[in-house]
Amino acid sequence: MLPFLKIMLRNLVLGPSTDPFPFAPAKTHENFRGCAVHDPEKCILCGICRHVCAAGAIQIRASQDGSGMQYSLWHNSCVFCGMCAHYCPTGALTMSNNWHLAHTGAEMFSNCISNLIHFGECAQCGAKIQPRPQAIIDTLGVRSPDRFLLCPKCKRQSIGRNVAQPRSIHRQENL
Amino acid sequence: MLQLLCKLASRSPWIYRINAGSCNGCDVEMATTALIPRYDVERLGCKYCGSPRHADVVLISGPLTLRVRDKVLRVYNEIPHPKVTVAVGVCPVSGGCFRDGYTVGADIDHYIPLDVIVPGCPPRPQAIMEGILKAVEVWRARLEESVCCHS
Repeated sequence: MLPFLKIMLRNLVLGPSTDPFPFAPAKTHENFRGCAVHDPEKCILCGICRHVCAAGAIQIRASQDGSGMQYSLWHNSCVFCGMCAHYCPTGALTMSNNWHLAHTGAEMFSNCISNLIHFGECAQCGAKIQPRPQAIIDTLGVRSPDRFLLCPKCKRQSIGRNVAQPRSIHRQENL
Repeated sequence: MLQLLCKLASRSPWIYRINAGSCNGCDVEMATTALIPRYDVERLGCKYCGSPRHADVVLISGPLTLRVRDKVLRVYNEIPHPKVTVAVGVCPVSGGCFRDGYTVGADIDHYIPLDVIVPGCPPRPQAIMEGILKAVEVWRARLEESVCCHS
């Protein structure tokens, strides 16, 4: 009898179910996939993010003066799939939980990430190579720290030198 | 009198939805912002209307496929003048993942001026409400402008 009384009491106790968003900040889960964030300090310009981007939101172009590459990610094309962050080998691209992206039509093309990433320099000959930031040297460059900072040509020569003397090393180890 | 009307009118924009060949994701989110009590858009004074001739704020979703292009433009031209266009989702702006598809012609931007853009695929209901609030500001400015032109 009178089943609405139970519902009425429950509604009185629980309060309104409306999300008070425009007047108070909305609850956002910390794993919510919002706009992508790019850290130019960690980017090595491998281009895997551009390769996996379903919507073609990422462009990597040579800069005018040739000192690096212009990395750009247009939020108005990004579909927040998170593939770029998943495949980024260095963690330079991450998905933040920022969803406050509404903007006016005049800001259509300025609503993007645009970073200039400078090339690295070969430790021996000074040629341009992919960027080698410290964060990458600490993770990817630990296997061969001396060779990690070389351009492909110098690296080949260095490997060639090593190949010429491997047996002596092995013999020393065997003794 | 006109100024009073413009002040009052900007508190209750009527919203109209156009699906320009969208995948229905954004349409579901737009229906969600209106229909369920959790993200009640009507407490901001907004109201969804069924006829383009009553509309003030237009929400457009979808990349404007070739099949609906002429129909969308016909409906859009029926909306009375100080109108504000809100692009919901990334499709109207850039085509999103349908860009360069065989059914997608030029971006919506070539045919319809977009005033507010809510990127997302789909954007969450709160983001759409944020966009609507921005659109209402734009609409208020336009109303005041047109009142000044009249008087």
